[in-house]
Amino acid sequence: MTSNTTRWALAGAATVTVLGAGRVMARRRRRHQPERKDGWYVVHRGITVDRPVDAVIGFWTDRERLDRGLAEWATLEQLDDTRWRCVAGDPAGGGTEWRAEITVDGPGRLSWRVTDGPVAQQGRVELVPAPQDRGTEIRAELRWRSGPVRRALGLTTGTDPDLGLRDALRRIKSLIEAGQMIETRHDPSGRSPEQEEATDKMREKLATGGRP
Amino acid sequence: MRALCWEGVRKLAVRDVPEPSIRAARDIIVKVRASSVCGSDLHLINGFLPAMREGDILGHEFMGEVVETGPDVQRLKVGDRVVVGSVVACGGCWYCRTEQYSLCDNSNPQPVFTEKLWGHAPAGILGYSHAAGGYAGSHAEYIRVPFGDVGAFTVPDGVPDDSVVFASDAMPTGWMAADFCGLKGGEVVAVWGAGGVGQMAARAAQILGAERVVVIDRLPERLRTAADRLGVETINYAETDVLEALREMTAGRGPDACIEAVGMESHDVGPVYAYDKAKQTARLTTDRPTSVRQAIMACRKGGTVSIVGVYGGLVDKFPLGAAMNKALVLRMGQMHAQRYIPMLLDRIAIGEIDPGYLATHPMSLEDGARGYEIFEKKEDGCLRTVLHPQPA
Ligand SMILES: NC(=O)c1ccc[n+]([C@@H]2O[C@H](COP(=O)([O-])OP(=O)(O)OC[C@H]3O[C@@H](n4cnc5c(N)ncnc54)[C@H](O)[C@@H]3O)[C@@H](O)[C@H]2O)c1
Ligand SMILES: [Zn+2]
Ligand SMILES: [Zn+2]
Repeated sequence: MTSNTTRWALAGAATVTVLGAGRVMARRRRRHQPERKDGWYVVHRGITVDRPVDAVIGFWTDRERLDRGLAEWATLEQLDDTRWRCVAGDPAGGGTEWRAEITVDGPGRLSWRVTDGPVAQQGRVELVPAPQDRGTEIRAELRWRSGPVRRALGLTTGTDPDLGLRDALRRIKSLIEAGQMIETRHDPSGRSPEQEEATDKMREKLATGGRP
Repeated sequence: MRALCWEGVRKLAVRDVPEPSIRAARDIIVKVRASSVCGSDLHLINGFLPAMREGDILGHEFMGEVVETGPDVQRLKVGDRVVVGSVVACGGCWYCRTEQYSLCDNSNPQPVFTEKLWGHAPAGILGYSHAAGGYAGSHAEYIRVPFGDVGAFTVPDGVPDDSVVFASDAMPTGWMAADFCGLKGGEVVAVWGAGGVGQMAARAAQILGAERVVVIDRLPERLRTAADRLGVETINYAETDVLEALREMTAGRGPDACIEAVGMESHDVGPVYAYDKAKQTARLTTDRPTSVRQAIMACRKGGTVSIVGVYGGLVDKFPLGAAMNKALVLRMGQMHAQRYIPMLLDRIAIGEIDPGYLATHPMSLEDGARGYEIFEKKEDGCLRTVLHPQPA
């Protein structure tokens, strides 16, 4: 049981880390405002991974592999039996650092709280067996709020942790099912550097967010 | 390296582009030996399927030689002669596990476009616009193939490049079209479109048990080729009333299954066609579904209409009432290449299917633009132009 909890803690911590290092700061305006509750924006997202719950948890069991896999993005530090800290940089640059505390709430359930980062954020992840031999549903709830300064500047909708969450779920699914995230950014083309830059912007738009 | 690029609606040119490299552990690099044109390219070139960018490399039906493999590639090695399915599939998601490869969850890195348009994103396709993932295509000296172990298959010795190349797309598409019909033996099957896809669908229907296969087109050379090569019956829709002819051929019943292998630029004679074309040109509708309408009207009560011609958006005057009240089964989709290719290679090896006759116009890559023109206008009996990117 302990080992299962540890495994899940690792899996969950990795999930959150990928989330933190993903495009949490994706800058895109959204058409629909997310629901607001007690001053927090709240979204629920889920994705189905074609593996049993144990395999989803087991995916990241190897600490060494995990550290290697996350090396580019973040470091993960165990605080005590159920708590972890992750420190991640924002890949979009700007030197933003992101620290979160992750708490294991039970088998297949954990929550996290950003203790230091550009957006006040907290969330929960839960793993549920999917019906019909479809594997595992990863269900996530994300809450965030922007500070008074950002609100005053009207920037509340300019950053979108929801897109970050959706990206992260897609990324995790792909890593578990396919062993990698696919990308086509470096495929050859007959474009000039300027045209390539414009195309990259379009790629970014078509790649950001998405299901779930 | 040299590659045939899209430069704008109806504009193609060969350009110098960088060579591809291994980007992920499951990638392979294929040195392209034969790369065919396909009816789908026409929809892309003519601007009917969206999200093309200037400089995109076209081509998705090809074969060649493996020249590099990523560290996680196990089944293939450098030097293997392979044919590659057009559809990119990860091999590890639910859709791949259930052999619905063209619905793969993890092979389109740019899913937002099709999610908005269609509700969900299907698989990525090589050389098929940014809606299908933005992959570089095969009309080039080299191509990167992601998930090489899943998408590339070694081909039997002795089968020429210009024949086995069609195991990439035209054959699996045609086979799937016939597979959708659920044939039990003895059926009458009608096929709209005598292009590479329609011809392969007709052959597949024969193998799967159809007693009579009727191919419909307006191009006499194509109909003649189908009759000569496959022994099918034909109808020229420019000369004959198709619905009447099919009713008569089946003593009033209508075909048990109708395969549509024409697609969104479907052509017709008469006033409704002019209406469709005007609407499509003005972008009031995206697709011209003439042959789909006809297939639905022709099909016997309770029969199957199998659509493999490509559609991208909305159609007008869709005879839903006919489909509903005749209790038709509608099947459709992009082909699941990886599901059919190994079986098709076996059938090529024993000579049961010989797709080589589709390669009417072998050409060098440098002549690619002209090759597409011949293909589009169906000049000189062209069924498919096959480009050869390697210097002779
Ligand atoms: N589903 C898939 O995975 C898949 C794969 C490959 C190709 N395709 C599609 O299949 C279709 C055919 O491809 P192709 O390479 O054979 O194209 P092609 O252009 O060579 O052939 C199309 C044929 O349809 C004929 N046609 C036009 N209007 C017609 C009508 N109203 N009735 C009967 N015939 C008509 C044309 O004369 C032509 O011979 C295209 O839409 C292509 O995009 C689909
Ligand atoms: Zn094709
Ligand atoms: Zn897949």
